[in-house]
Amino acid sequence: MNKNKLLIVLFFGGLLALPVSLSAYIGPGAGFAFLSSFLVFFLTFLLAVFSLLSWPFRFLFKLVKGRKSYKNSLVDQVIVVGLDGMEPTLLEKFLEQGKLPNLNTLKQKGTYKRLDTTIPSISPVAWSSFMTGCHPAKHNIFDFLSRDPNTYMPDLSSAQIQGPKRVLSLGPYKIPLSKPVIKGLRKSIPFWKILGENSIFSTILRIPITFPPEKFKGHLISGMCAPDLKGSQGTFSYYSSEKTDIGEGGMVIPVKIHGNQVQTYISGPVNSLRKEEKEIRLPITIDLHKKNNSVSIRVSGQTHHLNTNQLSDWIKITFKPGLGIKIRAICRFYVSEISPEFKMYLSPLNIDPEKPSLPISHPFIYSVYLAKILGSYNTLGEADDTWALNEQILDEDTFLKLCYDTHKESESMLFNALKKTRKGLVACWFQLTDSVQHMFFRYLDKNHPALKHTQCEKDEKIIEKLYMEMDDLVGRVMDKQEKNSCLIVMSDHGFKQFKRGVNINSWLYKNNYLSLKQGKTHSREWFKDVDWKNTRAYGLGLGGIYINVKGREQQGIVSLGEEYQSLKSELKSKLEHLKDEEENQNAINKIYDRDEIPPGPYKGNCPDLIVGYHEGYRVSWDSVTGKVDSTLFQDNTKAWSGDHCIDPALVPGILFCDRKINKQQTGIVDIAPTILKLFGIHPPEHMDGSSLI
Amino acid sequence: MVHILNSVLSKFFEIIFLPFQNISPWFGMIFISLLTGLIMLFIFKLTSDQEGIKKTKNKIKAHLLELRLYKDDLRTSFKAQGHILLSNFKYMKYSLKPLLIMIIPVILILIHSNFWFAYDSLGIEETALLKVKLSDDFVPTELDTEITANDSIQIETAPLRINEQNEIDWRFSAQKAGVHEIKIKIGEQLITKSVSVSQNPLSQISPFKKRKNIMDQLLYPLEKPLEKNSFVKSVEITYPSSGFHVLGINFHWIVVFFILSIVFGFSFKGFFGVEI
Repeated sequence: MNKNKLLIVLFFGGLLALPVSLSAYIGPGAGFAFLSSFLVFFLTFLLAVFSLLSWPFRFLFKLVKGRKSYKNSLVDQVIVVGLDGMEPTLLEKFLEQGKLPNLNTLKQKGTYKRLDTTIPSISPVAWSSFMTGCHPAKHNIFDFLSRDPNTYMPDLSSAQIQGPKRVLSLGPYKIPLSKPVIKGLRKSIPFWKILGENSIFSTILRIPITFPPEKFKGHLISGMCAPDLKGSQGTFSYYSSEKTDIGEGGMVIPVKIHGNQVQTYISGPVNSLRKEEKEIRLPITIDLHKKNNSVSIRVSGQTHHLNTNQLSDWIKITFKPGLGIKIRAICRFYVSEISPEFKMYLSPLNIDPEKPSLPISHPFIYSVYLAKILGSYNTLGEADDTWALNEQILDEDTFLKLCYDTHKESESMLFNALKKTRKGLVACWFQLTDSVQHMFFRYLDKNHPALKHTQCEKDEKIIEKLYMEMDDLVGRVMDKQEKNSCLIVMSDHGFKQFKRGVNINSWLYKNNYLSLKQGKTHSREWFKDVDWKNTRAYGLGLGGIYINVKGREQQGIVSLGEEYQSLKSELKSKLEHLKDEEENQNAINKIYDRDEIPPGPYKGNCPDLIVGYHEGYRVSWDSVTGKVDSTLFQDNTKAWSGDHCIDPALVPGILFCDRKINKQQTGIVDIAPTILKLFGIHPPEHMDGSSLI
Repeated sequence: MVHILNSVLSKFFEIIFLPFQNISPWFGMIFISLLTGLIMLFIFKLTSDQEGIKKTKNKIKAHLLELRLYKDDLRTSFKAQGHILLSNFKYMKYSLKPLLIMIIPVILILIHSNFWFAYDSLGIEETALLKVKLSDDFVPTELDTEITANDSIQIETAPLRINEQNEIDWRFSAQKAGVHEIKIKIGEQLITKSVSVSQNPLSQISPFKKRKNIMDQLLYPLEKPLEKNSFVKSVEITYPSSGFHVLGINFHWIVVFFILSIVFGFSFKGFFGVEI
């Protein structure tokens, strides 16, 4: 100890040794520490005693209540690693090249198979089938979007959020007297609920279509389709002093530079507390430090320093709609330029998991727990902001950083769960494989039209690196497996190039199935110029065609029965021969009639026809949003260059299991019954799949 | 140096307590607790690792939630408890630096507040003892003593010499309100000691006068100390001790100060954005 330190110690020691009773108390500083520490010690001691004393009773209760759990179980633990969109052909190539040693070990030890996906091959549909063991007609999810037959407008297919039913009117306010209604639209029963009924604990992490979270024996954090604070599936903001247009997925907030400062706002949720429902705006001031190319962002009483071209960490912000209520969110900033123009990206406003304004986990405290132990994390279902790259607001490196950061958060959740769930099920979904392939698949095809039009800073190695990183993740999971454990690594569908877009609504228009209002030759988005009284069919979503059925659609004209059936047959027959003359190739592989797909009580919500596009094709960007024009085929020039919304037969997923599977045909609907069987539970009759073990 | 510090601080406390002297001491106590709470908050904010404290507190809360989430898993529960205790030690480590820095202002506040809140002044006709402590080498019975005071103080007894304790005591009674002076001559040494009689509800009272050394000068700053080489160690007046009554129970002022300053500190931590 040097002399100075010694003197300091002696000085404070001397002060503490002052011969008065007062020195026993050295002020609030000590009081703060003493009180907090004492409380923690006391609480911990109390809980320890309580845990010890109550454990025998709880053990007995568990024994009586759950006496059958694990009795016939083949395993103690099942781990499911869901790698969204992992493509079998690429995987098999990399396996052969020896680039995926851990997955190869898994294959040698157990099984590798291609996994049949759902019709249609879309993530929310496929993962709903994964969790319920049922085909879509039994779980009611057929796309990201469903449609309202009264308005022909799209709705989110997985959940409905409505304001409170009863409100008290008070001046400019309308005070809610009941809770807002958050209703999940996915039907049937997730298999982890059945496990819970048999006293088997599960931890479910980020699996799609788990918002709103349902009660069961275990912990769950919602995944794909959980909304952002604005209630959307992810709306980024782009602040620019330059005139900018954004197609979709975000909003432009024009700003002006005053000296070295930009004053603007964060666009928040609609203020439902006020009669006049306006968005809540949070003021934000950005000081520009041109010398060192950095900014200071002042928001919600905090100042954050950020260099240009640097992503911020999660920043907590608070909206105040009035009456003392606070709505909390987390977001990330990225400033790409401060001079001569100002350009800044703000991520979608994620629900703050530490103080969630909507339930995003079960139990409610689970999201709080994860935030406190791991730090803030992405809570938005569509975590990776593909739109921002598509609209060239983010560059490829920044997009990748965002994706990999989110992936790391999910990894941390998984490894935390593996530590805690030594008996039971752990299932975790990773979006990275899907997002990166959507946005970088063009690098695998030198003739992809997007390579000529978008930022191209990467090469085909990016996909290879992605697969190798997933292999590394699997290896680390294998290291954490309990003794009598089963590991399943799977994807919900595969991936193919998306080079050409098909405007199915334009085709329907050109072939007189869809009519436009008099004098119109094209329709703006969401069918604004469609003449419904003369329209027989229309396309909505990523592959659905709906017949404008009398009595079902508001302005339906096609009668159910023979007219309906013959129209479907006619469309099927024509579309299956739809040729892209420019490429001299059929655009559609197969049309699926909803009467031919596996039945279920929700078949009525299924599109009447599902278009199974050929490899290289997909529904065009315009057609998805209900635009109609004269163009049938279009080059896809966006960064979003790979897709899976094609004929499901062309995009099976993958399945690895460290147990032998002898069944030849394996489908995603078989996973739920297989896991139930592994835990010694007979799969319920309503499940369409069957055990692979 | 110490003398200057004492003068400045005494004056400062006189000024800040000036508005509260004629009203209940509770007001003065609330004010000084609030002031202390706020000063400590700022010191805590400036001198502590706020981010580290936040992270550690989050860890503690996380493991407390873990106990709730994994209540059926004894192994996880015990691990969580272990983590809580470890994080708690870490939290205490984070509190140590601000705590050490706070010691200085807080001890000064406590020393001065003690003379305002710990004692009551003597009432009219109330008796008290005047105690003079001598150095070990001096025997009280071998020394001549003389005590004088004005009409306001009546010396009631002859000196009581206690050789075993090296102490000479007098009993006196207060006759008139005010701050008076008693003069004591022991051997050849002349000593003076102030006496407070029937002062305001909140007044500064000095019960001790001690021989000159830095520590005692800091602790007993109100009166000029005795000479360093004096054979008199201290002069004390036994004032009645004061306290704060809550629901019929008498609390020592320091207990009230402790609770109030903590309450104020915690109440304003959110407002000033301090992580405690």
